[in-house]
Amino acid sequence: MMRGSLLPRCSNSIFPPPPNSNRLQPPSLKRLSAPTAASSGAQSRLTFSQNYRTAPNRLRCSVSESQWKQDREMATGDEQQDPRIAGISSAIRVIPNFPKPGIMFQDITTMLLDTKAFKDTIDLFVERYRDKNISVVAGVEARGKPNKLPGEVISEEYSLEYGTDKMEMHVGAVEAGERALVIDDLIATGGTLCAAVKLLERVGVNVVECACVIELLGLKGRERLGDRPLFVLVNAT
Amino acid sequence: MFAAENGLKSDPRLQGISEAIRVVPHFPKQGLNSSLVFFFGVWLFNYFCCCGCCLTGIMFQDITTLLLDHKAFKDTVDIFVDRYRGMNISVVAGVEARGFVFGPAIALAIGAKFVPLRKPRKLPGEVISEAYELEYGTDCLEIHVGAVQSGERAIVIDDLVATGGTLSAAIRLLERVGAEVIECACVIGVREVKGQCRLNGKPLYILVEPRQIDNCC
Repeated sequence: MMRGSLLPRCSNSIFPPPPNSNRLQPPSLKRLSAPTAASSGAQSRLTFSQNYRTAPNRLRCSVSESQWKQDREMATGDEQQDPRIAGISSAIRVIPNFPKPGIMFQDITTMLLDTKAFKDTIDLFVERYRDKNISVVAGVEARGKPNKLPGEVISEEYSLEYGTDKMEMHVGAVEAGERALVIDDLIATGGTLCAAVKLLERVGVNVVECACVIELLGLKGRERLGDRPLFVLVNAT
Repeated sequence: MFAAENGLKSDPRLQGISEAIRVVPHFPKQGLNSSLVFFFGVWLFNYFCCCGCCLTGIMFQDITTLLLDHKAFKDTVDIFVDRYRGMNISVVAGVEARGFVFGPAIALAIGAKFVPLRKPRKLPGEVISEAYELEYGTDCLEIHVGAVQSGERAIVIDDLVATGGTLSAAIRLLERVGAEVIECACVIGVREVKGQCRLNGKPLYILVEPRQIDNCC
C-alpha cells in the first residue's frame, strides 16, 4: 500500500518536554575516554583521544544565500550565536584516523548520549523549518547504499574520491511539487548531498534547503551545492 | 506481548500502523545466495505458507511506507513513548538500521540517551562486539565503550523481530556493559519467538503482526 498524497503540514515538535530527568546525567566526557574493563571477546579497534577535539571548532550557525531573510534569529555571524550551539559542538567527539589515516571523524554518537544536546539539535532544525510548508524530510544513508530499499527505486550515481557510489529512493515516496528538506549529519565534499538533491529534483520535488549538523570547511561542499541553500549548526576544520 | 493484548485492545491506531506497512514479496531477490535470503526464507516458510508461489519467496515487511504516513509514524512513536515514559528508562538502544528510525524519536520524547548498535567497523570509537548466529554463518553487533553506564535501565528497539537472534545479541551486549534491559520493543513481530514470548528472559513488546500480501505475487 503506497500512501496517498500528503498535504503539506506544519508539524509542531512531536517531542514533549522530557519528564523530570534529574536522574539523567549527560555522560561525562572523561568517562567516555576511559575504556571499561574488557570482557572476553571484546574487540578494541581504536583507542581514541582523551580530548574531544584535536582541532578547535569554529562555532557558528551559517546560512548561505537564503530566501528566508526573516530568519535572522538564526545567527549569520559569530556575534549572534544561539546559546545551544556550544553544547552541541562540545558533545561531538572527534576520532582521528577513522575510517582511514588522515581523516578526523566527527562522531555524533556522543551527542546522542547528551539528552540536552540532542534535543537542542532537533529543536534548532524544527524551529527553522516548522512553518515553511515542508512535506518531506529526506534523510541520507552514510556513503550511499544501493540494494537496501525493498520496493522499486530510482538511482543516482555520484563520484567518490576513487570510483562511484549509488544512492536510491523509493518510486512514489514523494510527489512532484512537494517541498523537501535534505538532512545529513555532516557535509564534506557535498557529493552525497548533491546526489540526494538530484534524486529528489528528478521527480519534481522542490528541495528547499539542505541541513547538516556539521560542515567540514575547506572541502567545498557548499560550492558543490551551487545556489541550493545549506544550513549548518557547527563548522569544523 | 502484543500491544493489543496489553492495554491497547481495539486501539484504532494499531490498524492504521499495520496497514501503512507495505509487504514486498521476493526481497531480497530470490536466488541470491546470501545468508539473509535463507534466514528470512526459512522463517517465512514456517509461518506463512500461504500459496505455492510464495513458498520459496520472502514477504519483506517494508516500514518505509509507514514513515510516509505522518499519522501512522507518529502513532507508532507515541505508543512506545506512552509505554516507556514512566519507567525510568535512560537508554534507548536501536539496532542497525531500522531501529535507528524509531529509536531516537522515542529517546528524545522520554528524555533518554539513544545508543546505536551497529554492524562491525561502523562505529568510530572503541567498541565491544557480540557475535550471533544466522541461519548460515554469523553476524556481529557493536556498541561504543562508555556509551552506557552500569546500572542504567535500557530498552532495545528494532523494526521487526523474527528469530530473535539480533535482539538476543543486543540484550547480551547491553548486559555486558552493565545495563539492565527492561524490555525489547518492535513494531512488527510474530506471536512466539522460538516458542517463547520472552527473549533471553526479557519481555517483548510488539505492535503488529507481519502481514501477508493480499494477492500472492
